[in-house]
Amino acid sequence: MKGKELKSRDIDSLFNGFLRDEGSIILGFKKDTITIGHHVFKGNIKDFSLINPFFNANGALYFRRLFSKGSRLLFVLRPCEIRAYVELIKLTQMEREGMIAISVDCPGTESVKETKGMTSLPEDIRDYFKEDTPKRWACINCREKRGVVGDGGIRLDKDFNMWIIPYTEKGEALIATLEGEWTDVPQDMAIKQDKEPEVFKTDLDMLKKDLSKCILCMNCRDMCPVCYCVDCVFNTDEYLPKGDALLNKILRTGEVDLPQGKELFHLIRMYHVSQTCVGCGACEEACPQGIPLTKYFKGISERLQGLFSYMSGRDFNEPIPYTTFKEDELKNAED
Amino acid sequence: MAESIKNKNIEIVGFACSYCSFKASEMAGSLRMKYPEGVKLIEVPCSSRVDPAFIIKALIEGADGVFVAGCHPGDCHFIKGNYYTRRKIAALKEMFNAFSIDGRLRLFWVSASEARRFVDKVTDMYNNIKEKKK
Repeated sequence: MKGKELKSRDIDSLFNGFLRDEGSIILGFKKDTITIGHHVFKGNIKDFSLINPFFNANGALYFRRLFSKGSRLLFVLRPCEIRAYVELIKLTQMEREGMIAISVDCPGTESVKETKGMTSLPEDIRDYFKEDTPKRWACINCREKRGVVGDGGIRLDKDFNMWIIPYTEKGEALIATLEGEWTDVPQDMAIKQDKEPEVFKTDLDMLKKDLSKCILCMNCRDMCPVCYCVDCVFNTDEYLPKGDALLNKILRTGEVDLPQGKELFHLIRMYHVSQTCVGCGACEEACPQGIPLTKYFKGISERLQGLFSYMSGRDFNEPIPYTTFKEDELKNAED
Repeated sequence: MAESIKNKNIEIVGFACSYCSFKASEMAGSLRMKYPEGVKLIEVPCSSRVDPAFIIKALIEGADGVFVAGCHPGDCHFIKGNYYTRRKIAALKEMFNAFSIDGRLRLFWVSASEARRFVDKVTDMYNNIKEKKK
């Protein structure tokens, strides 16, 4: 695979060169002395950071219903965020025209919730890759930490030299603006391919126990990057009735626990995102009650994606399993 | 769910495609075949109209079993609807397996002329669930 070596000063020249055009925007991470987080750069990339060691939200959340309208957009984000971007494109929630997505090798992230705010940002990129920093459950069990998704990737070899590699023509056009020779990228990278996930198995009682804390604030749904429906079924009175509709339901069917429909809400959401879930853990991060949602959503989605040998966000051209079919498959589906 | 629902007879919700399975159930009626009273049929324009959310809702809110019945693969009135159904229901079954919920969801292929097959499948499912509940 061909790529270019990326020196620290090259980052500035590459991205500033991209921003020289009027109407060009970069979404990435901004690091200053106090905080680090998502930032939209215009004009120049002051305080730009390739890696953000803290997770608060999945960046693809801001992409929904985004259309470039003639401007050029560049995303320099984590693999999980770029994977969600790929899924949103397949779901026609975004326009691929004018957008370039670059994924950056991710050493794993720490929850902002547990650190009570963002502290101690290391200066050197190597420090992010130290083993001893506490990581979120979703990151420890991540399926794809390598920057191998999207239009291009920024990867680190084992000596922590940065490499920028194109995966599509768009990425190639961007990287062509960078000075330097196209060379073969080393095989040995700082982040290796993750092992295949184990088959997830649990039971309904376990789910009920974990959801006993749920207050149905639906923050998990709102912060999920791929839970994109404008008219969610749970916004109406059909699935989780409120007020009068709830009273009518109780008079009709019998007593209910309140808040009602916790398992219903999470199971239906789990099914709806099953093929597009990237396992980023934004739902768990958004949960005010600290319910281990990632375990269920990631486990179920990986199991259901495995049924169709699919992986969310891996490829722009791989259709989402529920939107396609093969005539000769699933012979034992019928009972 | 509430106790009052638990003590009731077994209730099975069935989503039947109006072009084949629902016609088969009508034919079963006109041929005086009997299938259990607890089976409540819902007519849908195509089996792929059934969002798995309907099935999850039916099961969580008290139904003992749910089945989806559609045309045989390749015979769909809308050309390819039941291929999508097959994928969706297979995935939903996989999800139920992960949560250790077995035997409460079934998928049948029944054409309009197969009244006997419809009755057999439904009765078998009813008896199966009844045995498990004891």
